[in-house]
Amino acid sequence: MPEIKVTPLGAGQDVGRSCILVSIGGKNIMLDCGMHMGYNDDRRFPDFSYITQNGRLTDFLDCVIISHFHLDHCGALPYMSEMVGYDGPIYMTHPTKAICPILLEDFRKITVDKKGETNFFTSQMIKDCMKKVIPLNLHQTVQVDDELEIKAYYAGHVLGAAMVHIKVGSESVVYTGDYNMTPDRHLGAAWIDKCRPDILISESTYATTIRDSKRCRERDFLKKVHESIERGGKVLIPVFALGRAQELCILLETFWERMNLKAPIYFSTGLTEKANHYYKLFITWTNQKIRKTFVQRNMFEFKHIKAFDRSYADNPGPMVVFATPGMLHAGQSLQIFKKWAGNEKNMLDVKMQVEYMSFSAHADAKGIMQLIRMAEPRNMLLVHGEAAKMEFLKGKIEQEFSIDCYMPANGETTSVITNPSVPVDMSLNLLKREMALGGPLPDPKKPRAMHGTLIMKENSLKLVSSEQALKELGLNEHQLRFTCRVQLQDPHSDSDTLHRIYTHLKSLLKDYTIQHLPDGTVMVESIVIKVSSSAEDANSKVLLLSWSYQDEDLGSYLSSLLKKGLPT
Amino acid sequence: MGVNTYPCAPDQQTAQNIFFYYFVMEILTLLISEFTVCVAGYDSSKNEILELCLPLKLLADEKKGLCAERDFKVVHGGFSEGPIRCLRHVPGTRCMVTNDGQSSDLQLWDLGGDDSDVIRRTGSIQGSSVSQTGSRIAAPLSAIPQVLHGAQSSSVQLTHLSSRQTLYKLEADSAEPLSALKFVGDTVFLASCCNGSVYMADTRTSAAPQVSAPPSGESLQWWTDASAAPQSCCKVLRLSSSGQAVVSDLRNLEEPVCTARLDIQMAPCRPCDVTVWWAPVLEGCFSVSGFSGLIQIYDTRGWRTELQDAQPLFQHSGHAVSSPHAADTVPTFITSHAWHPERPRTLLSAASDGSVHVWDWVEPQRD
Repeated sequence: MPEIKVTPLGAGQDVGRSCILVSIGGKNIMLDCGMHMGYNDDRRFPDFSYITQNGRLTDFLDCVIISHFHLDHCGALPYMSEMVGYDGPIYMTHPTKAICPILLEDFRKITVDKKGETNFFTSQMIKDCMKKVIPLNLHQTVQVDDELEIKAYYAGHVLGAAMVHIKVGSESVVYTGDYNMTPDRHLGAAWIDKCRPDILISESTYATTIRDSKRCRERDFLKKVHESIERGGKVLIPVFALGRAQELCILLETFWERMNLKAPIYFSTGLTEKANHYYKLFITWTNQKIRKTFVQRNMFEFKHIKAFDRSYADNPGPMVVFATPGMLHAGQSLQIFKKWAGNEKNMLDVKMQVEYMSFSAHADAKGIMQLIRMAEPRNMLLVHGEAAKMEFLKGKIEQEFSIDCYMPANGETTSVITNPSVPVDMSLNLLKREMALGGPLPDPKKPRAMHGTLIMKENSLKLVSSEQALKELGLNEHQLRFTCRVQLQDPHSDSDTLHRIYTHLKSLLKDYTIQHLPDGTVMVESIVIKVSSSAEDANSKVLLLSWSYQDEDLGSYLSSLLKKGLPT
Repeated sequence: MGVNTYPCAPDQQTAQNIFFYYFVMEILTLLISEFTVCVAGYDSSKNEILELCLPLKLLADEKKGLCAERDFKVVHGGFSEGPIRCLRHVPGTRCMVTNDGQSSDLQLWDLGGDDSDVIRRTGSIQGSSVSQTGSRIAAPLSAIPQVLHGAQSSSVQLTHLSSRQTLYKLEADSAEPLSALKFVGDTVFLASCCNGSVYMADTRTSAAPQVSAPPSGESLQWWTDASAAPQSCCKVLRLSSSGQAVVSDLRNLEEPVCTARLDIQMAPCRPCDVTVWWAPVLEGCFSVSGFSGLIQIYDTRGWRTELQDAQPLFQHSGHAVSSPHAADTVPTFITSHAWHPERPRTLLSAASDGSVHVWDWVEPQRD
């Protein structure tokens, strides 16, 4: 049976890195190639031994697709392509292609230069890896080869994030990457058409979560920031330069305007400019509101948010600083921030508290159900979840949509049997012949059985009449005839026995053409019956039945019938 | 009076915490414990019961800042053939008892343990009367596998969970529909009727129950709650459909301790939605919902025996204001609410638009 195989790489309950292998229609595709941020050794890279024990991956993969620029989805890409070895195509959206190398380089710098680690990819490797990238546009079908095609859909979540539709013949899979079903201040919500893939693959990390509303989250954040600023304190917000930071910038900017606040907000230099540059460049990837206001003013050019300089850290009074990992690792900045924290101990007023706030934009339980409703997959597959903790969600999906829900563990392969329709060309002659047989016109809802010969040549399938097939293939037709002897006790003459047989069959087989021919045979359709007497005993008759292969069923039936004897 | 309205700037807020959630389904009832809340509700096609872990950020207290988690986590879930309007947990077990609000039968459920996240139906208990408003259920205060239930005063019975044996029946002289059923001691319980009368009985004895007549002669609808204080100072609150609240001592239900007319705006939308609870920690305070899109908190400690108007100590209007259907003609009404058993000022409320809020307020400065 045709099947699609899905294997999330990784081991056990390991969450925090995405790298999924899909085998579909003879093609092998790698979805994402993430780094596990929790490990400091080789465990942070996916284990590619599932694909091949040693050697390069080029021969084993038809393509690699990266959903977005977060390191847990693309962090291991240079390692895979340059250190393990892969020279085939790597697909990702334009913004992902632009931003990925920046984050990879930033991360490489911190890991190697600051932490002094070895066995990590180099700057040149990142560059070489990106040379293999083919950028994707939204909703544009790309032919990877003759049989494999892919299409990207908007996923929300971060700039350039995409869900991917993968099709080989009539089998297809959609991989969501990370997505968000609710729009936010700078990105729209994920969207896909009713593409009805055989499998919809999604993360289940947040599947059992019911999210607190964004407004409450923001209200909590703004309240804390405002309270600190009112007390004259300094607020340090560690963020990654690209991603949620833009959302928080817009949030703070809007709040500062509304409340008429004067305290300065700073963002790290270098990366800010790059980030804003990309958001302006890829304005079509942001949401409608931003695109509309962009005509009047650029929403990423902030009135209240300025570039940070190390000397500002000593300024008295309140301020808000967005600090990127690079800044926090850099020597001088780190000291300054430590000094801020140190003040807390000396003052009665607590000027620096630590608050963790989660602003990530992921789909929750409701979001997953919404996406299934949109795409209408035939099967659902959730990765990165514990099966025992997901039985209820599985039941919910199966009940509401009547589809199977699979939950492979990391390193485990799930095979989903598909039922693809195989398109076949039919010759005109055969079609005419079928039409001549009468009956209802061909209807996709009412399948009709027919006879023909299927010829498979190269990649095409053709349905033709037997004669045409024989001619095309240069073969001679062979006729198969069966002969059967039946012994019968009958005292009558041969011709009388034959006549009795004729009458008997005529009474029983009313729907069939039965003839008593002058040459001394009875014919039932094309089956020939002859009677002859045994040499030793005139009362013992031998019936000879002969039929061609096509009438096998009727022939067998007649022989069993006649073996029972004739009525007196 | 503090008002928890949304949206507004932080300096107008008196709440410390607000968490808003939107469920796809309408939550009909909820039951809160220290770390979890069970909700039951339905959308167009199915009824669900969910056990949710409360957001860690709410529970973290001193370490609150270090906790980013603001979300509910579904720890167990199950499907129900019929709606669930009343939900009680049997202490010391993972057993839930529910009623659909349309008959007097009860359903039993196993909430599930660590090995599975599915809530399964394990059986049912037949009620002894025909009802259209459903049965009230009272779980014992300690871990005994029994449940007290009934739809009318004449059909209140104590049933053993596993044997299904009827251990006790209330000898009532009339068949009034019940509005509440609650244990106030290990074996002493109150059965409160919709007409305002209250029966007090002991499941150990077959002695006739004490009956207390409705606080006023008018034929109104009444809702009742008894405080969880030890029996000696247990207070009983009765609220009428005209907005009058009457507080009595359990030992002397006929003589009200104090009374007041509440600031209730509209007639109740659905009588079965009106919920009245004594605060488990804040002495003398109670909450009321079901009369509009608000939940109001009142403090009875200033009340007197003469009837006068009372203003709420606090009012949560988040459901009415922030509803996605705020523009529609159908108003949002509160279907259920509950106090957190340990945190003095934390409540959970659910509304007809599928919203569930967890909220609290800051103690206003006393003069």
